[in-house]
Amino acid sequence: MSHGAVPKITQTGGNRPKQQTWKVYLRKPAVVIFLTLLVIMVLVSFIGPNFVGSPFSTAHAPLQAPGGANPLGTDHLGRDYLARVVYGGRTSLLVGFTVALLCMTVGLLVGGLAGFYGGVVDTLLVKVAEFFQVIPGLLLALVAAALLGSNVTIIIGILAVTMWPVVARIARAEAMRIAELGYVESARAAGFSRFRIFWSDAVPNAMPPVLVATTMTVGLAILLESGLAFLGIGDANRPSWGALLNLAQPYITSAWWLAAIPGLCIFIVVLAVNMLGDALNDVLNPNIGKVK
Amino acid sequence: MKAVLIHYGKLLGSSFLLLLVVITILFALLEAAPGDPVQSLVGDAPVSEQFREQLVAAYGLDRSVVERYFIYMGSVLTGDLGTSFTTQTPVLDRILGRLGNTLALAIPATVISTLGGIILGVIAARTRNPLLDTGISGGAVGMFSIPNFWLGLMLIAIFSVQLGWLPAQGTASYGQSGIALEHMVLPLITLVTSQFAYNIRVMRSSMIESLGQDFVDTARSKGLSYRQIVWRHGMPNAMLPMITITGYGVGLILAGSVLVERVFGWPGMGLLLVESINNNDTLVVLGVAIVITVCILIANILTDIVYGLADPRLRARFRPKGSES
Repeated sequence: MSHGAVPKITQTGGNRPKQQTWKVYLRKPAVVIFLTLLVIMVLVSFIGPNFVGSPFSTAHAPLQAPGGANPLGTDHLGRDYLARVVYGGRTSLLVGFTVALLCMTVGLLVGGLAGFYGGVVDTLLVKVAEFFQVIPGLLLALVAAALLGSNVTIIIGILAVTMWPVVARIARAEAMRIAELGYVESARAAGFSRFRIFWSDAVPNAMPPVLVATTMTVGLAILLESGLAFLGIGDANRPSWGALLNLAQPYITSAWWLAAIPGLCIFIVVLAVNMLGDALNDVLNPNIGKVK
Repeated sequence: MKAVLIHYGKLLGSSFLLLLVVITILFALLEAAPGDPVQSLVGDAPVSEQFREQLVAAYGLDRSVVERYFIYMGSVLTGDLGTSFTTQTPVLDRILGRLGNTLALAIPATVISTLGGIILGVIAARTRNPLLDTGISGGAVGMFSIPNFWLGLMLIAIFSVQLGWLPAQGTASYGQSGIALEHMVLPLITLVTSQFAYNIRVMRSSMIESLGQDFVDTARSKGLSYRQIVWRHGMPNAMLPMITITGYGVGLILAGSVLVERVFGWPGMGLLLVESINNNDTLVVLGVAIVITVCILIANILTDIVYGLADPRLRARFRPKGSES
């Protein structure tokens, strides 16, 4: 499948003030293009369902090509494909963003605590992260979803369980680095409790690389979910883009658009998310990746 | 010599431990699966009362969870993955019958993605042409953003359906056995893409780091040509992260092959896994997961051996003291 390509991060922020970092980020041409694309896809997927017809109504002629009464054509049962793609996007994006949010929360807390405090939790986390690095998430998710059943909640849960260690590993490395820094030492000298220091110093300062990893997680989660749905493991009541591809495969010779459109949607969203994550990484680490 | 033995002993030990963890997770999933355990073992087939009792006895379903766990673990470790309910043959035989087809795709895919990733990564790192670098790096992000099964579908639509150049399904023409080369082209492209892209990015950043080191200045001051500096000095020093990545990549390629085999009707382990999930043939599903895990662990051990050979610092550590010549 694919990877959360999270480049190595050794230092963050450069010397720029925070607000300026965001300004630089938002002015990058790649960010302008892909953020616009992503916002459009999100708006269409979450507001769009109010404007298109029912994705389940079989009122139209089957296998109509795009154009005419149905802008994206119709599927083999005569359902309006635009409605199905818009509703499918809602499921795909919902899964992607929820999984990433869960991964960020759990990863930041567990990884941060493990890196900041060290000890048994840290050793355990390293082992767990190593395990998930060796055994691909797609394989575990596939078997788990096949055995446990597959509604949206279960799929989100399974994906979050297989993907959080990626974020946790990065949060851990950051927290370990921060725990050695001067401001932590002075906070300790000032008499703050360790947890207070963790919460108000380590967590916010570990955020930038964690944010990059989380962005990548969105794309990977959408790819994994669509892969599972393509194999027929998904919520039958909420067909995602992957599920549309599963249904489209038998018609690849006669109705290519059934496969082309949902796949293109997945590609655009994942590409946008990865590009935004990449650009964020570049802004946060201006010195990395330049030839001297 | 002793240090080598200890190192590989530890490696084998941790690999074995990992296998035990995977088996434990699979067992826990089996326990957590909703519904009647007998029914989920048998799948959709009807169960007679007599057969049910047989099964309960055979799988020890009347025993405690802990007992069952050790029985399952014991039988898996002795190579007994149970009997497939759809074909009434041993699960291991069914899987091993498919293993060759999967490896016939996975091994070339690993080789191509690694070599291609190294070459393009080095080119992207050393080029002074920002357009080429951005093109390769951006192209790589694009390649691992494509859902590989969709790429496969589109390749079929273009090259098989529209142009009719390449076959779309199976390992060979209808009625023939073996694997035909033209049947491999599209599945290989599909399987290689994301790993290839990932390798490019890792190699690029590793190579940039390598080219920034002092030995590059030394090589340059010796008067070596740029080509020699890049390929003889820079590249070998940038290889170590690539070796690690290739080890993980085998796992990702094997997992990805589940989707690719489904798209191209390629009768490997992945297709068996999908068929078994659809037939609720649970023991085969678990069996395929275990066999893929074993393949991944073997690949990781091989990776570690190659890493030891490639890194002279490790070789030096393994050399017994006093024998340096």
